[in-house]
Amino acid sequence: MTKQVTLTIDGKQVTVPDGMLVVDAAKEAGIDIPVFCYHPKMEPVGMCRMCLVEIGRPVMDRTTGKPILDDKGEPKLQFLPKLETACTNPVSEGMVVYTQSEKAEAGQKSTIEFLLTSHPLDCPICDKGGECPLQNLTMAYGPGKSRFLFDEKMHLAKMVPLGELIYLDQERCIQCARCIRFQDEVAGDAVLGFDERGRSTQIVSLSDPGFDSVFSGNTTDICPVGALTTADFRFGARPWELSSSASICSQCPVGCNITFNTRREAMSDGKIVIKRVMPRQNEEVNEIWMCDKGRFAYHYAESEKRLSKPLIRKDGKLSRASWDAATQAAGEAIAKAKKDLVVLASGRLSNEDLFNLKSFADQVEGKAVLYTHMGGGDLVSLVGVGQGTNFGAMGAGTTIVVVASDLYEEAPVWYLRVKQAVQRGAALIVANPRETKLDRYASFVIRYSYGDEVRTVHDLTKKGKVGDAFAKAENAVILFGSDGLGLDGSTALATACARALNDTEHAGKPNNGLIGVWQRANDQGAWEIGFRPEENLVGALKGKTVYVVGADPAGDDPALVRALHGTEFVIAQDLFETETAKLADVVLPAQAYTEREGTFTSGERRVQRFYPAVPALDGTRPDFAITSQVARQASVILEGTSASVVFDILAEDIKSFAGLNYAKLAEVKPQRPIVGRGDLYYGGTTYENKFGLGVQLSSAADRSEKFTLPRVQKVEELRPKEKKLLAVPVTKLYDRGVTVESAKLLNQRIGEAFVALHPSAAEQLGVEAGERVKLSLDGVSEDVVVKIDETISTGVVLVPRSMGLPISAPAEASLKAAKKVSVRA
Amino acid sequence: MSLAEKYPKEVKQILAKYPPEHKRSAVMPLLYLAQREDGYITKEAMQDIADALEISVTDVGSVVGFYTLYHDKKEGKYRMQVCTDLPCALRGADQFMESLCSNLGIKVGETTADGLVTLEAVTCLAACDRAPMFQIQSGDGLKYYEDMNVDKTMELIEALRKAESNS
Repeated sequence: MTKQVTLTIDGKQVTVPDGMLVVDAAKEAGIDIPVFCYHPKMEPVGMCRMCLVEIGRPVMDRTTGKPILDDKGEPKLQFLPKLETACTNPVSEGMVVYTQSEKAEAGQKSTIEFLLTSHPLDCPICDKGGECPLQNLTMAYGPGKSRFLFDEKMHLAKMVPLGELIYLDQERCIQCARCIRFQDEVAGDAVLGFDERGRSTQIVSLSDPGFDSVFSGNTTDICPVGALTTADFRFGARPWELSSSASICSQCPVGCNITFNTRREAMSDGKIVIKRVMPRQNEEVNEIWMCDKGRFAYHYAESEKRLSKPLIRKDGKLSRASWDAATQAAGEAIAKAKKDLVVLASGRLSNEDLFNLKSFADQVEGKAVLYTHMGGGDLVSLVGVGQGTNFGAMGAGTTIVVVASDLYEEAPVWYLRVKQAVQRGAALIVANPRETKLDRYASFVIRYSYGDEVRTVHDLTKKGKVGDAFAKAENAVILFGSDGLGLDGSTALATACARALNDTEHAGKPNNGLIGVWQRANDQGAWEIGFRPEENLVGALKGKTVYVVGADPAGDDPALVRALHGTEFVIAQDLFETETAKLADVVLPAQAYTEREGTFTSGERRVQRFYPAVPALDGTRPDFAITSQVARQASVILEGTSASVVFDILAEDIKSFAGLNYAKLAEVKPQRPIVGRGDLYYGGTTYENKFGLGVQLSSAADRSEKFTLPRVQKVEELRPKEKKLLAVPVTKLYDRGVTVESAKLLNQRIGEAFVALHPSAAEQLGVEAGERVKLSLDGVSEDVVVKIDETISTGVVLVPRSMGLPISAPAEASLKAAKKVSVRA
Repeated sequence: MSLAEKYPKEVKQILAKYPPEHKRSAVMPLLYLAQREDGYITKEAMQDIADALEISVTDVGSVVGFYTLYHDKKEGKYRMQVCTDLPCALRGADQFMESLCSNLGIKVGETTADGLVTLEAVTCLAACDRAPMFQIQSGDGLKYYEDMNVDKTMELIEALRKAESNS
């Protein structure tokens, strides 16, 4: 345990760990020292001078090392002649701090007066008004009147785009550098800086595109004034008009805790709509951060293309039908099909939805198939990270392995957490066939060729520098992904990872085990509940009755369109009229997750609740309820009224969920640093967690169960053949998936569909960076732009997933330069 | 052409002065090098330097923005920087500046029509005892001109102009 130090702040005795800053010690004692530039997640800089206090330190006798006493027998105190900043001074034994003395208050008052000399005081039209630290602290500590001349105020640009997402109001900025420091220290994308100096100091971003970071939205949370605002929320609403609902981000498997801010408004025809998405503190998941995809890609549920009526195919055409008629048609088809039922669902659905679907499939002896390109979730159930795992607690002694995944693009907040763990002393091994952003923090970078994943992981258990760093580490975690891999490749990789962890006894305890970097928020939940992917999906659908939920196979791949045409009956349940819905026999309109409650299981196997944020679109129902209704028509009784009751049944049925219920998931405990309370200036506008931190599931290893891990499956080795190209799929954060595509703001960051080549391959083919080429894969062609990547091997080309060309696994590709247009001179 | 291609020897020399793990410290000398040619630092040059030192281009831009001797806009080939601090003012720097302006037909901060001279007011060049004084910043570096008057200055500018048209 660290040494404890006792000091006195405003007459209150406080005992805190040695090394703590005075400002934090005061916070512990319930005393709020005003700050602007200080943020508990970043190094102190003492730039804004708002936290000026009087600090007295006991005078020590140099010979005895004991404090010198005054006449009254009290330790003699020495104060500096000037005030000191509470945010840069660590506590020491016997220290006496006055935060509200006449002198301290005069200092604080002057600081506010100075800060306001160039601030426009345009609170009535400022987005921050109502939740603004500058506004609050001016009211609490300001002089009320300024001695400076109002007419000599600085006037500066009020709408400077730092990128498409974030706007800077130069007048409002108080140069606290929180945003610059966040980008530098926390995000690791140093794309903000100061230009000029003195009174002319301004925030700038010179990156291309501007403010090139997927964490940019967080700077608007921690900006203590209205200088940084998002293009999304700018002039959107006043903060006090907003209601808030706790939720979980559904964009990736991290499971960031978020809050939806909503209001009823005239401009949306009197509907209650989401106005913004804010992070919600969960120190074990996302701390107080979130990525821009989560923050800005929430508009899809408001899309005009939402389904609001069940549809039945009549005379070859889909036409509107009642819920009774539609569910009856679906139920009867399934009752007829029995074991010929295939439920095809994705990790977009909640645990409750998936559980009802699985129960339904089981009772008619059909099959529950997970729609995914990535395998290994069953192994994560065995040796997944132990209960109590927290990236925030990892440091020296822990080794983190990231294999076949580009975390920055696939799960940004994990990227951030892994990076932070490394900065606290954890060792990082990044094994990837190409360069990724995480490489620069790695102790070891392993660059293997596509196809060598399993061998690479196997080598981790061998003696040597890298092997020792993994095998001999006190704690070890492996994050595996599917960079360049399809289902069989990623399953083999997961098996190799699971074996490596198990063989080195890195399973069944906190901060040890396996994590899957899945494509969707609840893929792990689907695995836990018993969904399994199908290697030959096309074959598995043939002649079956298919119940497709929360997935659009037909929209993703022409081969699956053909497969769905060859089925007996198709039921599509979705938010939108997807390509799959268009060829279905029955279409059932589902509610968005923002319109209902439920739970997701994150990649770290934390089960977390989300709550309804907006009223459901008329005519839609939650997935679990629809399934129950369809099941009833097939004489299968499933709970269909309450998500929490479905969860209770799930918890009884599935071992890893044993003992859990909605009340447990909603439990909270105090978190450090304190960011909520009235003084939102401390942590920013992130929300305090009042609605549940969630519970991590136990793994088989946690429960000390006996299990045997499968052997690593032999996978057909895909190597680029002579004079042929091997296309491998990679994941991009901003892709053409429905959530990003319907978010106008992020849409601008998607960029064009591309193919990445090695420079020498490009030379051989006679194409250059930026050139348009025709790329063909499995008979499908598309015009794409050439990118150059020096870190891949020559015969391999990278093709992003969800960018137009269907690619679920490595495949042979051909590439032709598009016809060059000759320009007449 | 990148900076390293243009000045391979100089870039190598500069980088050799710093330990590889602290190569970002080479940002200032590299910026001077980049400024040598055109009297200002182009966006491309900033990117070059950022790539070479593995820092962000915004970090490089911040350094350019902070120091007054770096410029990110094309202005006069010679920057005439007159010290107008208090001690210099006491020795007539203000009047000197004023009549220099009227002789050149420009205001402080502006550039002569032929793009030869940009006139700037700066603070403390540490030569109060020899004011009025200024420094000229150009591709050749910095040169001090002390105990100046307007006539001497105009002669100097004329000489620069002549040298320019001859080259």
